[in-house]
Amino acid sequence: MSLFVQQILNGLTLGSVYALVALGLTLVYGILHIPNFSHGALFTVGAYAAYVTAGQLGANYWVALGAAALVTALVAMLSERLVFSRLRDSPPLHDMIAAIGLLLFFEALIQAKFGAEFHRVAAPYPGIWQGLRQATGLVLPIQRALIIAGAVILMVALHLFLTRTVTGSTIVAMAQNREGASLVGIDLTRVSLLTFAISGALAAVAAVLFAPINLVSPGMGNLVILKAFVIIILGGMGSVPGAIAGGMIIGFAESFGAFYISTDLKDIMAFALLVVILSVRPQGLFPAPAR
Amino acid sequence: MLACEGATLDYGSYRALSGVSVRVERGELVVMLGANGAGKSSLFLAISGLRRLRSGSIRLDGQELAGRKPSDIVAAGLVQCAEGRKLFPGMSVRKNLTLGGYVHRADPKGSEAILERVFGMFPILRDKQHDTAGSLSGGQQQMVAIGRALMGRPKVLLLDEPSLGLAPLVVKQVLEAVQAINREGTTVLLAEQNAFAALKIAHRAYVLENGRIVSEGSPETLLADDRIRKAYIGA
Repeated sequence: MSLFVQQILNGLTLGSVYALVALGLTLVYGILHIPNFSHGALFTVGAYAAYVTAGQLGANYWVALGAAALVTALVAMLSERLVFSRLRDSPPLHDMIAAIGLLLFFEALIQAKFGAEFHRVAAPYPGIWQGLRQATGLVLPIQRALIIAGAVILMVALHLFLTRTVTGSTIVAMAQNREGASLVGIDLTRVSLLTFAISGALAAVAAVLFAPINLVSPGMGNLVILKAFVIIILGGMGSVPGAIAGGMIIGFAESFGAFYISTDLKDIMAFALLVVILSVRPQGLFPAPAR
Repeated sequence: MLACEGATLDYGSYRALSGVSVRVERGELVVMLGANGAGKSSLFLAISGLRRLRSGSIRLDGQELAGRKPSDIVAAGLVQCAEGRKLFPGMSVRKNLTLGGYVHRADPKGSEAILERVFGMFPILRDKQHDTAGSLSGGQQQMVAIGRALMGRPKVLLLDEPSLGLAPLVVKQVLEAVQAINREGTTVLLAEQNAFAALKIAHRAYVLENGRIVSEGSPETLLADDRIRKAYIGA
């Protein structure tokens, strides 16, 4: 029984990280219809920004988390300005090629600067809850609790921002009708930049929360971005609740699959589920409203 | 008030507008007649800054609009209610209307007053204010679209085919609303295929064919012109 509960906790942890990454991806897809493969690089950039501020400069973990979110938001905004905004009138294929190019560019850049080896980001509160762990037989290291709590806080904050604030509504408006948004006087450039900044910050926070239980390396974003795509396809492209539900589904599938089927097959679960769910619901779980 | 001079617009090698000049004076209701594909929507999208002119100028009270961002053009007082409505289908009716006042977000009191005016003009929208815009009927959606444009506090309101696809009774209601908006002091440029109904409420009209203005004048003159009667009214 406790092993079963343990898998639920593991699934929640993984699902939280995936959902945060997928949220940023789905926001950008929703407003710009760009399949932003370079979102995986933002995940990596966030982790390395924290590695530099915490590991090399010796900053506090939370300061490093804030710094990583800021740096990654800036990188995301730069990629919008320098690359994606210039491709606005080109065929969609060009966006995709540019996004993959950016992903490879950032990966190579990070490898050139920091080397291909793995690095560690120290956990902010190592060692506490040891006693609790022995008493209950459950293992919920504090870092995993932080991941889950952090993800929940960010999801609620994002939801309130999108539905309750005027600035948030401009993002939703642009996703639902781009020309309609222009016609009421919403500045699309500003909304694009804002959306990229949010998506970058979410990816960075996910990466920094995840880093202490998973090593940091130049290619760390590649598998994450593939799974994030699976998640937003599952959930419905551009759908915020879909990204959260999809993230949790994939997280649980991986933790239970790894435990009850085989650890070797863990990374295949996401893709197998994609095939199964899409054959039943081709529109995804939460399709965006029709235009 | 709105003056468009020699507006030329290309889509690749296709010339959608060639040297279109249109003037709308303060307080006027001007109708732009034309068949499908004549260039009405292209002209309107260009005026709103959503398409870039190859040459020509568009002035609002003497201020050049060509080349400016759509958001600046709305802030300058030129608001469009576009063909196909372009609502935010997943948002509530009320939120669609509120976002119409986006450029005036620093003055929520003023927007609240206009919202009341819109509800007064289309009472059904008050009842449906919490429904999503996408769930409304075509006529009701058109009312939301007109209301949303009014929330932008237009000096000049562009209406692109507001009667498209609506039942005859609803068409009448929508055109009466347009006339009422104009009588309350908003300058209106209205594109319509429904020529007879539109000419009845217009002060002046232009006829657009293949991207050129081929005729202009008072509704009486145009209605007396046999060629125009045949092409646009069918009688």
